[in-house]
Amino acid sequence: MESEEKSMETVKATVVELDEKHFIKIETGGEEINIPISEDKPNEVKSAFNKLITRIKEGAFEIRLEDIGQDLFSQVANEYVTQLNREIQEVRGEMKDYGLVED
Amino acid sequence: MKIDIHTHTKKCKSGDAPTRVITPADFCETIQSTEVGIVAITNHNVFDLDQFTEIKEKMGDDTQVWPGIELDVQENGVRGHLIVIVSPTMAEAFSGIVYDITKESTPDNFTTAIGQVLEKFDDFKPLYIAHYKQKTPNLSDEVLDKLMSGTANSGRVIKEVTNSISAGIYISHGHASIYGSDVHDWSTYEEQARDLPDLRLPVESFEHFCLLLEKDPTTINTILDKKVAEDLILTPFEDAIPLKLKVFNDINVVFGPKGTGKSCILKAIAKHYCDTGIDAMVYESASDRLDELFDTRGRDLSLNLNSHGINYCKDEIEVLREASEGGITSLTKYENYFRIKSTNKSAKKIKLKDIEPEEEGGAKRKFGEFNDGVKKTTDFLKFLEEHPSVKRELSKEEIVEVTRILSGLLERMSNREWEGYSGWKEICLLNSAIDKFRTEVERKTGAPAKPTTTGFREYALNRVRIEVDAAEIIKNVDTKIQVLKETVGSLGSNKGELELWTEFKFQNGTITDGSLNKLKAVNKGQQKTFVKTVREILKHAYKDNLFQHIANLNAIEDVEKIETVYELLLFKRYFALDGSPYSPSSGESSMVMLQKELETDKEVYILDEPERSLGNEYINDVIVPLIKERARAGKKVFLSTHDANIAVRTLPYSSVYRRHGPDGYATYIGNPFSNNLVNPNDEDDWLDWKKVSMRTLEGGEDAFGERGKIYGNG
Repeated sequence: MESEEKSMETVKATVVELDEKHFIKIETGGEEINIPISEDKPNEVKSAFNKLITRIKEGAFEIRLEDIGQDLFSQVANEYVTQLNREIQEVRGEMKDYGLVED
Repeated sequence: MKIDIHTHTKKCKSGDAPTRVITPADFCETIQSTEVGIVAITNHNVFDLDQFTEIKEKMGDDTQVWPGIELDVQENGVRGHLIVIVSPTMAEAFSGIVYDITKESTPDNFTTAIGQVLEKFDDFKPLYIAHYKQKTPNLSDEVLDKLMSGTANSGRVIKEVTNSISAGIYISHGHASIYGSDVHDWSTYEEQARDLPDLRLPVESFEHFCLLLEKDPTTINTILDKKVAEDLILTPFEDAIPLKLKVFNDINVVFGPKGTGKSCILKAIAKHYCDTGIDAMVYESASDRLDELFDTRGRDLSLNLNSHGINYCKDEIEVLREASEGGITSLTKYENYFRIKSTNKSAKKIKLKDIEPEEEGGAKRKFGEFNDGVKKTTDFLKFLEEHPSVKRELSKEEIVEVTRILSGLLERMSNREWEGYSGWKEICLLNSAIDKFRTEVERKTGAPAKPTTTGFREYALNRVRIEVDAAEIIKNVDTKIQVLKETVGSLGSNKGELELWTEFKFQNGTITDGSLNKLKAVNKGQQKTFVKTVREILKHAYKDNLFQHIANLNAIEDVEKIETVYELLLFKRYFALDGSPYSPSSGESSMVMLQKELETDKEVYILDEPERSLGNEYINDVIVPLIKERARAGKKVFLSTHDANIAVRTLPYSSVYRRHGPDGYATYIGNPFSNNLVNPNDEDDWLDWKKVSMRTLEGGEDAFGERGKIYGNG
């Protein structure tokens, strides 16, 4: 556990606005992951989750939200990413038990 | 048991090979390494009493050693060899006589004449074994006539020939014949001994052998009486006249021309045993039943996958079929939470709702590890306490020590287990309380509660389980199952063993081999689609369209019939020879079916013309030895036959001969040892077993030709 924490990679995330719609943009180094936060689009969120699971397989990581403002969507994003990080670690633990992670 | 009436232990004559010389110890060791149970020492013109005594003592009771000599007999200017063998009880006196007649000569220049032989040895009631015809230097028929007319025991004069074939031919022409090893090189004796004559009846002594040779009825009956036998009273024929048979726990043969009711007798025998509760049925050759007998179509075929380390995957298949997409937390809930701030003062005081929930999985896994460790350690301690092997391998002190260490480990792990459990449940309680308080505050104040989860965990774990289960199914259907090979039987020494091969394969989504059959009632196309779809599910476990593939799986026709990977099995069953598929001919099918019958453990074997469709070589090499082996094991073997190879080579304890003559059908019962077949209804009506066999049985001449190997009737 200790070694995993040491090697834990940090993945940058920012809140982006596009056409008056807000997203959490997670830059995993591979495919871009966008989570819409200003409207309910469950399929897009699920699609983002699928990419996150695939990324979990490649190695431990933590999402760090940058440039957190005081606006509503920054607060939403901050809370969401906090919870997501906790859940990513839980899922990684389970996947490790099944032998599904690479390291 | 085999008999060797002609051995040498010394180089007596200058022409004798030095390899004939053997020490008493080596002689005993060599003889005992063979099946020879009776051996006569017959050196050239010499009898060494000291050596004979030493050998006899060393040999013990298992092997009979008979004293003898090979004499140079000269008659009418022609020299031939005559073996004289006497009872071991007379060895000393025999030695005296040999010394008396040979003291003036050397083994090289000693000769005697029939007159002297009779004068000096006939009182011993010896066996005279004369070199005959090809066995040189031989004695002529005139000289043998002189010996026969001069001896008081003409039944004990035997002709020694070169091999079993010659012996058989002479026997069939009424000459008492035998052959011995006449060993020249003891280093090859073991191999040579394999061809020595067999003794079909137990021979207790030299005297006993002589009585059997003379076909002494009392001696033969005494032997037969010792054999386990029973009297059967049968009514095999329509005339309902009872037929009384004495049958042995050995070979019993019914023979005679076609259409004389042999099969009826066998059926009556089978009925008799069935009526008494013994499994007995008449075996009849039917080559077309081979496929049925070995179930090549796999009607009753099954396979225990666990014994091949394969998981049936029942749960995994069920999980895949019932899988559905998990829900996630709406982002609006987060937005609403931050947009509408609670103004309720009391709500603000409730801090619990603002605490972040903690991760439960790690604590749960930690508890699980110790929980598992406690269970396994407890089980192992129980094993140490109860299993007898531990008590055998470890001393009391060692058991105490290992138990002490493991008990300490158990205590520590139990403590950790409880710590883990309480830690895990503490988090569960906290998370549950946070969730509850948030919901209650939301309900009372109308202000939305902060969501406790994004839904990622449940969503991800649902897909993880799908991946794990799909991978398990694919891993198992990709397992190679070793070809199952079963020996069917021998096709003779030149062809080898026929085997039944069963190949099992899982439909892996690509198999198109039409020769493979489905094992269960699931269409091959559906099997293929099923596995291909599971592969797609595995490939798309974390793709947006995963559940389209799950839907495709459930849309397969009769998918509900595929409950486990067992329903995905294909098989091919075929006969193989030398590792390649082989279709046995009808004759070969008959061979292996008969072998299978004889190799099945039974008390009673009833074989109706087992030779049908079989070649002589196969009957001799495979079937006759199997029949004899069953007989040696004390089983009752009944067989009807036209084949001399079976009737003569097995020398049946009981022979039933059926014939149809001018007065209708008649039955004769006898055996080859007394060489007669007697009509039970008229004791004066008897036939010569040997002559009847030779006349009635196919291949009679040849069989008798070979029959010298079995010294049961001369």
